[in-house]
Amino acid sequence: MKVKVVTNILKANARIAEENRRNLRERGITTINLMSSPGAGKTTLLARTIRDLGARVRFGVVEGDIQGTHDAEVIAALGVPVIQINTAGGCHLDANMVQSALTELPLEAIDLLVIENVGNLVCPAEFDLGEDAKAMLLSVTEGDDKPLKYPRMFRECEALLVNKIDLAPHLDVSLEKIRRDALALNPALQVFEVSARSGQGLEGWYAWLEGKLRA
Amino acid sequence: MHELSIALSVLDIVTTAAAGAGLSRVDTVRLRIGRATGVLPDALRFAFDCSKPGTPAAAAALEIEEVPIGGRCNACDRDFTSPEPYVLACPLCGGGTFRITTGDELAVLDLEGEP
Repeated sequence: MKVKVVTNILKANARIAEENRRNLRERGITTINLMSSPGAGKTTLLARTIRDLGARVRFGVVEGDIQGTHDAEVIAALGVPVIQINTAGGCHLDANMVQSALTELPLEAIDLLVIENVGNLVCPAEFDLGEDAKAMLLSVTEGDDKPLKYPRMFRECEALLVNKIDLAPHLDVSLEKIRRDALALNPALQVFEVSARSGQGLEGWYAWLEGKLRA
Repeated sequence: MHELSIALSVLDIVTTAAAGAGLSRVDTVRLRIGRATGVLPDALRFAFDCSKPGTPAAAAALEIEEVPIGGRCNACDRDFTSPEPYVLACPLCGGGTFRITTGDELAVLDLEGEP
């Protein structure tokens, strides 16, 4: 006997992501899904962003890592509510993990929720978490060939931070090629060339983030 | 590694559909997977086989229908289909931007089994 099904396999994830999105929007929270490969500087960028905007914006953070609480400790030291999710081997966060994390955050005291995804340029791009926008970092030490090698991530994001530009003079890397290839994949992408360590170029990123806040 | 979460979602869908149709044993599960999803059929088969014991699909075979990436080019406004797993430019004119029209599919189509 044959049974017709025709069901989207990611439907369960999509349904939970939509619940997260509705829950967060109703509370006036803007949610950013921040992605990159391991070591690109997500946590450093996030800590600096919190220090620079924390007086005006109430942050909340969900940290996704395969294991450990290092990143959550960095954020907690800044006095920001943070929940660490350990995926225990999983290569990405999914909407269900985020939904359980939301029950443990003081949502009434958050304007901007940043979900720091597991470091990985592949799978996180495929799972909707309920965010308003996806943003990614690419550090110059990873090389300028990455947009064309990992096109899906660059297509899915609204903002690209090219990080560690203070190191660019020491590397055979072309910022121009990164920008050109990323924009060829995604002409609407906002590209910010920054150093999360020195603070160079972060004004554009801050303006973009603040533009996403709900009044 | 996301093939494992996809395999588990497939088994959830199959278990629900089998119960709804009164099937005690599922023999075949047919999926449609677009190449733009980045899902590897071999890795998905492996994850499915590892995860199916103890479900009505314990002896089921997975049949995967792959859908090539198709798009409409923003430069030449023509439709194309590509046999490649990654499409970076329009194969007709070389234009760098296009809208993906096929290849994002990720669905359970149907299943066959016995009551």
